[in-house]
Amino acid sequence: MAWLVVRLAISVSLLYTASAVFEDQVGKFDWRQQFIGKVRFALFDTHSQASKKLLVATDKNVFASLNSRTGDLFWRHVDKTGPEGHIDVLLMYGQDAVVVVGNGRLLRSWETTVGGLKWETVLDTGSFQAATLVGVQDYVKHVAVLKKSAISLHDLSSGSQIWVENLPDSDTVQYQTIYSGGNGLVFVLGVVPNSHIVIVEYKIEDGEIMNKKSVEAAWMSSLENSCTVISSGILLCADQITQSLYTLPLQSAEQKEMRQIHLQTLDLEVASGFQPVLTSTRPNPAQPPLSEFFLQLSPDHHILLQLKDGLIAPLRDFNPSYLAAFATSGERTVAAVMSPKNDTACSINLFSADTGRRHLDTTIIYHMDPNGGKPNRLYVHAFLKKDDSVGYRVMVQTEDHTLTFLQQPGRVVWMREEALADVVTMEMVDLPFTGTQAELEGEFGKKADGLLPMVLKRLSSQFILLQAWLAHLWKLFYDARKPRSSVKNEVTIDILSRDEFNLQKMMVMVTASGKLFGIDSKSGTILWKQYLENIQPNSVFKLIVQRTTAHFPHPPQCTLLIKDKDTGLGSLYVFNPIFGKKSQISVPALPRPVLQTLLLPVIDQDYAKVLLLIDDQYKVTAFPSTKNVLQQLQDTASSIFFYLVDSSQGKLSGFRLRKDLSTELIWEVVIPAEVQKIVAVKGKRANEHVHSQGRVMGDRSVLYKYLNPNLLAVITESTDTHQERSFVGIFLIDGVTGRIVHEAVQRKARGPVHFVHSENWLVYVYWNSKFRRNEFSVLELFEGAELYNSTVFSSLDRPHPPQVLQQSYIFPAPISTLEATLTEKGITSRHLLVGLPSGNILSLPKMFLDPRRPEVVSEQSREENLIPYAPEMPIREEWFINYNQTVSRVRGIYTAPSGLESTCLVVAYGLDIYQTRVFPSKQFDVLKDDYDYVLISSVLFGLFFATMISKRLAEVKLLNRAWR
Amino acid sequence: MKRLLDVYVALQALFALSWCFSDAEPGPVAGSPSNGDRFKIEGRAIVPGVKTQDWISTARILVEGEEYVGFLKTDGSFAVNDVPSGSYVVEIVSPSFRFDPVRVDITSKGKMRSRLVNYIKTSEVIRQPYPLQIRSSGPHTYFMKRETWGWTDFLMNPMVMMMVLPLLIIVLLPKVVNTNDPEMRKEMEQSMNMLNPNPELPDVSEFMTKLFSKGSSKSSGGNKGSRSVAPKRR
Repeated sequence: MAWLVVRLAISVSLLYTASAVFEDQVGKFDWRQQFIGKVRFALFDTHSQASKKLLVATDKNVFASLNSRTGDLFWRHVDKTGPEGHIDVLLMYGQDAVVVVGNGRLLRSWETTVGGLKWETVLDTGSFQAATLVGVQDYVKHVAVLKKSAISLHDLSSGSQIWVENLPDSDTVQYQTIYSGGNGLVFVLGVVPNSHIVIVEYKIEDGEIMNKKSVEAAWMSSLENSCTVISSGILLCADQITQSLYTLPLQSAEQKEMRQIHLQTLDLEVASGFQPVLTSTRPNPAQPPLSEFFLQLSPDHHILLQLKDGLIAPLRDFNPSYLAAFATSGERTVAAVMSPKNDTACSINLFSADTGRRHLDTTIIYHMDPNGGKPNRLYVHAFLKKDDSVGYRVMVQTEDHTLTFLQQPGRVVWMREEALADVVTMEMVDLPFTGTQAELEGEFGKKADGLLPMVLKRLSSQFILLQAWLAHLWKLFYDARKPRSSVKNEVTIDILSRDEFNLQKMMVMVTASGKLFGIDSKSGTILWKQYLENIQPNSVFKLIVQRTTAHFPHPPQCTLLIKDKDTGLGSLYVFNPIFGKKSQISVPALPRPVLQTLLLPVIDQDYAKVLLLIDDQYKVTAFPSTKNVLQQLQDTASSIFFYLVDSSQGKLSGFRLRKDLSTELIWEVVIPAEVQKIVAVKGKRANEHVHSQGRVMGDRSVLYKYLNPNLLAVITESTDTHQERSFVGIFLIDGVTGRIVHEAVQRKARGPVHFVHSENWLVYVYWNSKFRRNEFSVLELFEGAELYNSTVFSSLDRPHPPQVLQQSYIFPAPISTLEATLTEKGITSRHLLVGLPSGNILSLPKMFLDPRRPEVVSEQSREENLIPYAPEMPIREEWFINYNQTVSRVRGIYTAPSGLESTCLVVAYGLDIYQTRVFPSKQFDVLKDDYDYVLISSVLFGLFFATMISKRLAEVKLLNRAWR
Repeated sequence: MKRLLDVYVALQALFALSWCFSDAEPGPVAGSPSNGDRFKIEGRAIVPGVKTQDWISTARILVEGEEYVGFLKTDGSFAVNDVPSGSYVVEIVSPSFRFDPVRVDITSKGKMRSRLVNYIKTSEVIRQPYPLQIRSSGPHTYFMKRETWGWTDFLMNPMVMMMVLPLLIIVLLPKVVNTNDPEMRKEMEQSMNMLNPNPELPDVSEFMTKLFSKGSSKSSGGNKGSRSVAPKRR
């Protein structure tokens, strides 16, 4: 053990130079945005007037408290992903929020001011149906949870289970709803589809069944949505086929049938094919609901009705209306209704619930975003004003998961783009040059037209530069005079231009909901957004940059391939990544499922790179497909290869393009699918540069790297998941010839495997199931002491297999994702960016993952700067590039080179988005920001004066001496 | 890889006794159905000197990555429910405070124990209290210290010390030792001779002074030739 400690100490001391964040750099070039996901439940804290809390539960299994004045997070709790963390229901009473999690697995109560858990209890198994707060005599003490076959009652203050009862005949009856009117009874409502309704009455104290009855309802298939309980325990249902409303008092013993009220008698009609929706409101969970309710007859028709003395009377008809919601403040309940105003705006008005009368001066105008989705949920926060009238604010949720919080008369208080909680893929695009920059660039591009014009041009461009500089100085001076607060750093598309070192870029983000965003990488401001409608929820996206901003008169161009996962049918969406505008270019139709895409370095006459799409009949579609492109493709067809992966059959196949844009099969590798399945295939990044061809060894010889740009890394996992027999396989396959360059098997290991394939190395992480820990393994490929062909690499002509070195290390933490830094020319040393489940991003020097790390330190290894081998990888907190700005559920890390060789731009996305810059070899090409100008200038001046003074003194002394 | 295995084998032999405990239970299998019993991992997290409400809303308990997730109660205690038997690393993650992870073993009968995490000697058992008592070892140190410039750093620099000390000796020594005393001079000469046993060999210091004086006279002679004569006159 002692030698281990010593070695670790050595290695740590050696690597003190690795990059880290200084405290004064906080927020200087990094930012984080936190998201919660698509809101499923939102409740305003109406407990006190001054409360700013808005509790939300989302489809990302996040439970959070928002500040309703600013939209910021007070706190946020991120549960496990998947169905086990799914929030089934959110109830709120006073300071407590009760949440049912994981299909009725857990019942939790949260203290909402602090954001801490009050209690958590495990519920009996069984799928969750409904939950409600149960009150007795105006005070809520219990919460009842209905499962498929059981009902349980829990104490609200401690969570302890008071009683649990099995439901009668639960194999035939579908119990769906639970209701308690505050009179010591709990009603459980079940339905036998197209037969009858079952109502079971439980006593709160001990769970004794007080009464059980069944009521004929042959028309009914489900209680959810179409039924609600109103007034003092009256079940109300709506049916589209019979065009009727049905009522039934839950407690009465004599009524054996539901009372039918034809909608015709109310002059109403449900739109055909629309399932009518009933919405009731319950201001106080300890009291029965109000007798007023909304009936939605069609997607844009709501009606406010009232039940009085057994009769239903319409209070107000809202036609057309998109959304309607109730809200209560104090004793007064209001209804807010959103109606269309014109093509681009909606108006929201407030009506009193008990009369249907409109409140004056309560209109809120909601402007619909032309690039966004339609509104689909309305949450109303009502409050009493000083003059005792009701004021309100609304939160509108749209199809693209945007939350907009509005107050009168339509001012947007805040906005949250929750689509960004689920970023699928992204790219960073260089910003365009400004006019002056373009002018300067143009000077070098154009052909020389004589000496004098050249000189004149040079002078004029210098003059332009001087002008720009003076303007900049003037602006600086002007801004400095103004007080700090009034200087607003508003970023708009128009003023965006490339900075000196190309550090500011446009982040194009594609989200799972089909909304595209353009975000300024420096500030995190959303510059444009575009919602693509009619995107299937299980689509896969691939974003391709076809033309960068480098070709000035031509606008940059991005192409998004949207592919339906089930059918495989794809479509292309072409847009300008700087402005987000859809491009007018005609897009090829893709009638057949797309299997593979390939971006060629071939460019058309408009400088757009050619994209090849391969369909399931191995036919190739080129985009753009102009004559010029087709001609070029014909010329180069014999050197265009691509590969396809069929993971269900474990087949990898390579194809070559023919001149007529058909393909021919050249190789096929079959990895038996019954033993192992292919989980991932990755090539190298196309924009990666490798600066040095080899590594200089301790004895001054060179070990050349095996730099095969066509190399594919294929990762497989065994189908047998037993911990003794499971394994992870790694294949390195040449994508042109199909030759297996290297093969490695990691026994007693299982996934998930994260890996990075770059330069001449592959780093992968797996779970060692024997020792229950994560392990890193690194493979490096070398050609040896001599290069076979140093000028050009050809997969077809490589007679010697590469030398493969491998080493493994223990990584003392779980891993969420893995990526490597990338720089402009590849001179800077590489770091691995490891996303951890704790939300930190670790910047791990690649130096630690070097298979040549020696076990015994020798003179040569020291010369090479190799760290002695240590089995455990160190994790140091200084290497967390995002300090306390943790990124929840980090799913991907995107790295992009900047104009500075030392600097790599990093974006980590998951639930949150974090953008920063890393300097793997420190900032060697610019002055550091802690560069001590004062010291250097004071030393210079000091020396200058010292020489002056000493010169003078020497002169005086000499003179004195001469006189002596 | 082979290196790693060697280490494992050696360590396994050492800890064969304790090994039988944790290996008896199957390790956590991903996505295993809930056929067996489910247990609860309980404990308490303590940050000395900080109120719980200031940090619990940002903290979580992660069991084996994000396999199981728990939250902290308002008093700092926690319980992760619904965990099948196995061996897990339990970690409290907080952006502001550092907690050391603990390994918790649960037998199929629900017996629990906790021990220090050791990824190298995975079977070593150094018992920790159960229910867990996890005490924070302080705030995270995310930031590197900037190198600040101070007079003390400057003076304590070995290069500066090397320059300053000889200077002091040169200036101070002639004042302390009376060179005009003939006895003293004799003594010094003697000691000099002892230091330089071979009088024929050219003295290094002499050689150096010659060299430098030559150099300086040359360089100064280039531009201020007239003045360089002045000291020689004396």
